[in-house]
Amino acid sequence: MANVVFTNVRLFDGSGDMPYTGEVQVQGNRIARVARGSRSIPAAGLTVIDGAGATLMPGMCEAHTHFAWNDQPSLGSIQKMPTEEHILWCAHIAERYLKRGFTSCVGAATAKPRLDVVIRNAIEQGMIPGPRYLAASQEITVAGGLADETLPHLPFEELNFGAVVSGPEEMRKCVRMFLKYGVDTVKLNLSGEYITGLPAEFTPMTEEEIATAVREVRLRNKRLAAHARSSESVKQCVRHGIEIIYHASFADEEALDMLEAKKDHHFVAPGIAWLIHTSHYASEYGITPEIAKNMGYHRELETACVTLQKMRKRGIRILPGGDYGFAWIKHGTNAKDLEYFVKYLGFTPMEALLSATKLGAEIMLRPKELGQIKEGYLADLLLVDGDPVANVAVLQDPDRMLAVMKDGVFYKTPEVRAARGRMGLSAA
Amino acid sequence: MPNVLFTNVRILDGSGAQPFTGDVLVQGNRILRVSRAASVGSATGATVIDGAGATLMPGMCESHTHFAWNNAANFDDIQRMPTEEHVLWCAHVAKEYLDHGWTSCVGAATAKPRLDVVIRNAINEGLIKGPRYLAASQEITVAGSLGDETLPHIPYPEYSFGAVVSGPEEMRKCVRMFLKYGVDSIKLNLSGDNFVPFAPAQTTWMSDEEVAIAVKEAKVRNKRVSVHARSCESVKQALRHGAEIIYHASFTDNEALDMLEAQKDRIFVAPGLSVILKLLYEGEVIGVSHAKAKDMGYEVELEAAVNSLSAMHKRGVRVLPGGDYGFSWAPHGSNAMDLQYFVKYLGFTPMQALVSATAYGGQIMMKPKDLGLIKEGYLADLLLVDGDPLANLGVLLEKDKLLAIMKDGVFHKEPEVRAGRSRWSLSAA
Repeated sequence: MANVVFTNVRLFDGSGDMPYTGEVQVQGNRIARVARGSRSIPAAGLTVIDGAGATLMPGMCEAHTHFAWNDQPSLGSIQKMPTEEHILWCAHIAERYLKRGFTSCVGAATAKPRLDVVIRNAIEQGMIPGPRYLAASQEITVAGGLADETLPHLPFEELNFGAVVSGPEEMRKCVRMFLKYGVDTVKLNLSGEYITGLPAEFTPMTEEEIATAVREVRLRNKRLAAHARSSESVKQCVRHGIEIIYHASFADEEALDMLEAKKDHHFVAPGIAWLIHTSHYASEYGITPEIAKNMGYHRELETACVTLQKMRKRGIRILPGGDYGFAWIKHGTNAKDLEYFVKYLGFTPMEALLSATKLGAEIMLRPKELGQIKEGYLADLLLVDGDPVANVAVLQDPDRMLAVMKDGVFYKTPEVRAARGRMGLSAA
Repeated sequence: MPNVLFTNVRILDGSGAQPFTGDVLVQGNRILRVSRAASVGSATGATVIDGAGATLMPGMCESHTHFAWNNAANFDDIQRMPTEEHVLWCAHVAKEYLDHGWTSCVGAATAKPRLDVVIRNAINEGLIKGPRYLAASQEITVAGSLGDETLPHIPYPEYSFGAVVSGPEEMRKCVRMFLKYGVDSIKLNLSGDNFVPFAPAQTTWMSDEEVAIAVKEAKVRNKRVSVHARSCESVKQALRHGAEIIYHASFTDNEALDMLEAQKDRIFVAPGLSVILKLLYEGEVIGVSHAKAKDMGYEVELEAAVNSLSAMHKRGVRVLPGGDYGFSWAPHGSNAMDLQYFVKYLGFTPMQALVSATAYGGQIMMKPKDLGLIKEGYLADLLLVDGDPLANLGVLLEKDKLLAIMKDGVFHKEPEVRAGRSRWSLSAA
């Protein structure tokens, strides 16, 4: 593990303070010292990374991650991937997130029962490289709801990326199975989704089913997350205490009041890029803007922008990330969300960065040791060529991600020029 | 990809010829030039690796590989690993083989239907790191023999690492399923094994009708058949039916040896001696005393195997290293032990052991004119070894002695260089 000093770096520390020139010492997996100015940390015996003015910032958190989505244009393609290939895909994608500066990810749902927990465990055991990860269940849904992909003549549950239940007792059994497997969160699909032909404002799950799911999850001290686009589904989340609310596009004033009253309990990760890209940038895959508009995505995008701007003003925690992993919104490009937060939701660049770092630590359940560059905090750090506060888009460029450190270990080491060694590697 | 020039290296070219000092130039994924003299000045634009006298040899081939065995002390732990974990395990192990200098591996059998083909495909697609790989089926077996792990009250096929068939038609269906999945070889368990008391090594289980139909179906798709064959009768059965790869072949008689010799240009034998030797001499660590191992039949089998395999080697039958690593007593990565076993027990010279791991490896990989030698035009699978494997085969067991590992012209392990200052200057202050 590292005993490293980053010197001559511009520190964006994730506290909300403006960046300043300083130094950071990492010892083991934690940040040992943070100092303003230069040459104030004695470097004897340490590896010194001279940042030459690059920005050092906390690793980012993706709050709504689906490793199991496979960068294809359809939901059907996800389920046609056999388990063996699927787990290797998830491992490959986990590494991609880390490479692109996401040192933490919150699993939002997986596509086969155990993909997420197995990947989380493999990362923790050091078997594969990947971000800190909270593992999700499949999306639990009802017959005819989002994630029920069976056909009348193909009634096989393996065709579903979700787990279909009917009634509180089936819900209980299903939730217990996922808890047995070791998920960190149980995901419920409370609303519809236009692309599957189900209106976003459709709210199909009963109170009894939700209540049973919540009760079982609480017994094991785990959390819940919900696909909740409709206003009613957002209210269900607040009523039942479902911590993580995905989308929330159509939340009305009553829903916003309810949410604001419980704002220390909830997180909202809208996955705004999905709405933007499906509406405007999916023509190559057969979804022209006109088709998207007819589906309902333009109206939803417009409404979601207004709703989320209101949430921001009310101080509700909104986090970046969401539904990357389709052909028109591929894994790894997730830092686009920060740009969209600024462009569509009225965030300042500073606010967008804090939502990816400081709030990321909160949703990761580690607010006092993650998401900031602060003495004693875990050393999840990015060295970025550029100034994200001036332009959050620099975070989208893999070449500008000069170094990625997770838990004190470089995943991407700053490049050095090779000199002659015993085996003298040189250009002749 | 820039050309790579290995200069100042001792070239052990895999042909059996004595090493010589020279240069090897790699262009793309192939060896462009091998020269006995230094060729400084003629490699403009190439990355130059000054070997400082280290040995450059072809990457090795493991001829009897089970990525799916999980370094446990029994079969049960293999089947208790769920599919998701098992795939990640296999991916992890595949990289480990490459880390240890095995740039080619022949899959000998996997433990769930698709593990091997998925790993091979992922390696070929560049999704994971691993050697060149030929994917195997599960071990096809019959009820009660090696590979059938079901219990009377747990009759579920998923409980077995083998695929259990009964009769030619079930065999046909089973073989076709594996061929559909895309295996390179079909594995049949013809004999028993002393590790399982219900089916000892000298017993022979499969009917000729079953074997015949399996071979026929495999040949329809131009795939190969490999066999678990410890008993004398099973070795003969394999040869009668045209199986290409014979694993173990511990017990033979003169008739079997004659048959092997008659088919020596077509067949390969990979005995996998580690199980016998480790259980017999080092079994205590897993609770198998020497007396118990003898009781299991390992002393008798070792004696038979030493005689059989030494005789095969003398008769010019190709005997290759590798086999059944992936148990607690012989974990993955320690496979180069086989080269020492060949010298100690089977009468190989160190050079012959190295040829069997390289030149023969290219042949069992079905690339005899492309792989396994350091020769102009051959694929660039190369190891730069700190030491002289001819003087001490043990150096091949030490990861740190493998200074560089190249597969298909790409460094899997680059020779270390000292870091200097650059813009991001990484330095020890």
